[in-house]
Amino acid sequence: MAPVELRLNGLCKRFRDVVAVHDASLVIRGGEVLALLGENGAGKSTLMRLAYGMVRPDAGHIEIDARRVRFDAPRDAVAAGIGMVFQQFSLIDTLSVRENLALAWPRAPWWLGRDARRPGALDAHLARLVPGVDPRARTGDLAVGVRQQIEIAKVLLREARCVILDEPTAVLTPAEAGALHARVRALARDGFAVVLITHKTADVRACADRVAVMRAGRVVGEAPAADAADARIVEWMVGVAPAPAAARPARAADTPVRLSVRGLCAGPVRDVALDVHAGEIVAVAGVSGSGQVALAEALTGLRPLDAGQVTLDGQALRAPGRPARPVAALAAIPADPRRTAIAPSRSLAVNLALKRLAVQPWRVRRAALEEQARAPIARFDVRPPDPRRPAGTLSGGNLQKLVIARELQGDPTAVVACYPTMGLDVVATAQVRDAMLTLAANGCAVLWFGEDLDDLLAHAHRIVVMFDGRLVADLDAHTATPQQVGVWMSGHAIAPDPLRQAA
Amino acid sequence: MTTVAALAATPLRAAFVRAAAAIGVFAALASLFFVSIGQPPATMFVEIARAAAGSGYAVGESLVRATPIMLCALATLVPARLGLVSVGADGQLYAGAIVGTGALLAWPLAPGPVLLSAVLVGGAIGGALWALGPALLRAFVPVHETISTLMLNWVAAMLVTWLVHGAWRNPASQGWPASIEFPDTARLPVLGDSRVHAGLALALVLAVVLHAVLTRTRSGLVLDVLRDNPRLQAVTGCAVAPRIVATMLVGGAFAGLAGIVETSVVQGRLQSDLANGAGLAGFLVAWLAGNRVPQTVALALLVGAVLAAGDGLQIATAVPSSATLVVQGLMFVALLAVGGASARWRGVGHGRG
Amino acid sequence: MAAADALLTGLPVSTLRGATPLLFVLLGECLTQRAGRINLGVEGQMLVGAAAGYGVTALSGSPALGLAAGAAAGALLSTVFAVLTVAVDADPFASGLAVWMLGFGVSAFAGTALVGLRIDGWMPWAGGITPTIALALALVPVCGFGLLHTRTGLRWRAVGESPEHARAAGVTPWHYIVAGVLVGGVLSGLGGAALSVDYTRTWAEGMTAGRGLVAVGLVIVARWNPWLALPAALLFGLAEALSLRLQAADSAVSAHLLHTLPYLASLGVFAITCARLRRRPGGGAPAALGALLAR
Repeated sequence: MAPVELRLNGLCKRFRDVVAVHDASLVIRGGEVLALLGENGAGKSTLMRLAYGMVRPDAGHIEIDARRVRFDAPRDAVAAGIGMVFQQFSLIDTLSVRENLALAWPRAPWWLGRDARRPGALDAHLARLVPGVDPRARTGDLAVGVRQQIEIAKVLLREARCVILDEPTAVLTPAEAGALHARVRALARDGFAVVLITHKTADVRACADRVAVMRAGRVVGEAPAADAADARIVEWMVGVAPAPAAARPARAADTPVRLSVRGLCAGPVRDVALDVHAGEIVAVAGVSGSGQVALAEALTGLRPLDAGQVTLDGQALRAPGRPARPVAALAAIPADPRRTAIAPSRSLAVNLALKRLAVQPWRVRRAALEEQARAPIARFDVRPPDPRRPAGTLSGGNLQKLVIARELQGDPTAVVACYPTMGLDVVATAQVRDAMLTLAANGCAVLWFGEDLDDLLAHAHRIVVMFDGRLVADLDAHTATPQQVGVWMSGHAIAPDPLRQAA
Repeated sequence: MTTVAALAATPLRAAFVRAAAAIGVFAALASLFFVSIGQPPATMFVEIARAAAGSGYAVGESLVRATPIMLCALATLVPARLGLVSVGADGQLYAGAIVGTGALLAWPLAPGPVLLSAVLVGGAIGGALWALGPALLRAFVPVHETISTLMLNWVAAMLVTWLVHGAWRNPASQGWPASIEFPDTARLPVLGDSRVHAGLALALVLAVVLHAVLTRTRSGLVLDVLRDNPRLQAVTGCAVAPRIVATMLVGGAFAGLAGIVETSVVQGRLQSDLANGAGLAGFLVAWLAGNRVPQTVALALLVGAVLAAGDGLQIATAVPSSATLVVQGLMFVALLAVGGASARWRGVGHGRG
Repeated sequence: MAAADALLTGLPVSTLRGATPLLFVLLGECLTQRAGRINLGVEGQMLVGAAAGYGVTALSGSPALGLAAGAAAGALLSTVFAVLTVAVDADPFASGLAVWMLGFGVSAFAGTALVGLRIDGWMPWAGGITPTIALALALVPVCGFGLLHTRTGLRWRAVGESPEHARAAGVTPWHYIVAGVLVGGVLSGLGGAALSVDYTRTWAEGMTAGRGLVAVGLVIVARWNPWLALPAALLFGLAEALSLRLQAADSAVSAHLLHTLPYLASLGVFAITCARLRRRPGGGAPAALGALLAR
């Protein structure tokens, strides 16, 4: 295989009034791993989508092996030997592994046969790249790490010479991430060009040859990985030297239990028991699909309980068959607030009043609602600060702040926050994190479902780990290491089967 | 494309451009149809306009046709404010006609005001009852309401046929299967010597009340919020299921009222085929009006005029009245096409595909 | 005993005859929904198919030409739905109803010329099977194997599951969506023609009486699987055959009331299916539709 050289020359892309990519140039070479770093919204995903033909550039052009090419659709990019593995996988959950591969295979035969009759070339390919997986398994039932391997197998099946991976380690345990780094190195050794989109410097250290950093749509720095110190990369990414992270608030011993969970079963969640004390931050970690989102949903009222009980300051909060009602003392910040906590086409004022909606006067006065909305909007710096604006038009960070502003209105004694900083930029992340730390310092019980282990370990007092719907570990966050937590997350401490289905 | 974008720079202008485009597309489609049936399009448009609004009588007929469509559109609109797609107005209309007529047959000699109220209330209750099944199925199973309401439309229509051929048949009506005539005491008053009746006023009053409830009260706001995102029932404590039942029942009552008004005042007796497509037309009217009350009322009047024009056309030009159904269908297609295209330009399409 | 005999003799064939028009529509709508669209306009497509099929059969004397004309008419009308929901992305429910209304109007308008025409139709083969029935039955494996075991079928399903992911896999979604709508148009037109040319051998305004919409519901009962479309259609056919036989047997229940039986039976199995699907989220629904159905 001849090593490919992909050149992106001065690419520009605007979405309405937002400049996503501005005059970005980048060279991607075969046999080399390029780590493309940047904050959320820096334009790195958009740049790679341009390279993959998913969006068309407003200006600039792409060259492959010194020949100018034009991609109208991903199909053209695929034909030119470019493959992309998305963060939201492009596997179709309801189809089998074999069907997903056949879908992507240009040489798939007209007749695909009945299940299990014709192993053929597809299954040989699969057995080589993802050993041990059943080609007939429903893709949606497989663990995330396995699905990612299938995704890579799919890209290679289409004879890609350049493989782009979009935030591949965000969803993996430390052990799975290690395996991925090894796979990426092996690809580069075989002559493939690999682009690793990431915001973790750990990925750079583990497998990159070269680093490119984007900020605000531009490529702001480029260097061999060996020459780029972490602090320099972060400075490129953020534009300023990184501020030291806030310390976790000291916690008095023997504070009372505020949030208490007993025998909770809800969907995939099985028999969870947990106490969160006043002033304590308890982090919940787990590989995605281990039931932590379901647990957060059960606690915040989005999912009915099958069994068990949840109390807040001794008062019953959730129980099977009990309809969810807003409780001022509980701040519920669910995952994906755009879908779970916001009425997107209603105004900020209405969204801030949702917890009090049922007790509004019979005749609604919008002016009064808008007046009440000004203080929380100002307190949490929601932008733009227009109470009449539909909430759905806010950016992710401001939407998150809007939900937090609403939930903190009643001076809560407990917070349940599920991935509260997901998708936020550095500044917004710090704001949200500081709000949580302040709440804990003031005696609030905080239950924090997070994705970034380092972050959780740095700020929580205790860390509990979920696997397969259960709490499998309860560790002191001051002494626990990421490796230790990772072992619990992967379930290896219980069942040594990496292909275990996430049911 | 650029010029269109420039023209549509302000909301008002955009609405104007949309309306002009819809009229243009409709005129083109309708001309095509008229040419294909061998009629000069220009003459036909003039005839349609004359038959719809060319005289006091024509305007009256248009209003008579618009009344059940308006009520059926409101019947679609109320559940739609919660995001439900109820297509059961036809069935609810028949059910309202049945129960209202039942009230008449039960107390034929009751004093006028009592009888009239019983007939109207019976109509509303009948429509609501017909909506109850799909409402409960949607709220508690959940069975998708679009398909259950559609299937029940035929059941209700057949029940009417069964009644007028059997138990409720008026022996005095010779061959024609129909119930006894509604006495004047059981009919809403009529305006002068036209056929325009107080049902139109009733529909307009109800529309005003409904508009106020939906836009000014807590109940309306709760519907808006839950339609936007049903999962907010956990945040607000306002459960979706009871509101599904409530909106379906209120919608059913509107359609039931349409049925009994049509039966008692316009046709004078219960007979088959009384819906005359009002439920389906009402659905499209509400949907195209974005489920907003003022626009719904206006569009219902327009569609009523087109249908009434068809009846007039049949007399004036010997074109069968079923041609009006084609014209009506083309009108909805034109409105949908222009609405969809403008949404796509603004980038707020359904995005599936 | 004699009454029971009269009720049951030849019931399988009557069931099959009643099920045939519905089977065409059901297969077509199944393929349409698998590509990610719900088309309520099948009712109108059936009507124009019935009118065109009846008219052409009467003029040419050939039921085969009639069926072909019905299929063509159904396909032609379905292009309206395709344009509305693919080209301009209009709401699929409203578009379907507009197409239904248009089809009803066109068939009623054209149908006035058909009143009084007579057709002979096909002589049934041994056992009461007509070519129409054979064609419908033959289409079940064609659709079943085609959808579930070929490359085209795989792409078709992928588009219905997720147009974005299908696009990422190099498939052009709108090709398949339009194909799905048009195949639905052909088969619903065929179903309408089968109804007028072979089953009732008459034309009447609005003669499909909701069969198309029943099919939309029964697709869900059949779990979007062409193989299961056969039992679903037979269920409707059985209810219809029984209601006709009960009328013929001078049942105490009125004929008009018995006519509601197929609809109530369909609604019943539809509700039961929905209740069972609740326990299995998605339940085999094409994901692009699931979002539409679950709102």
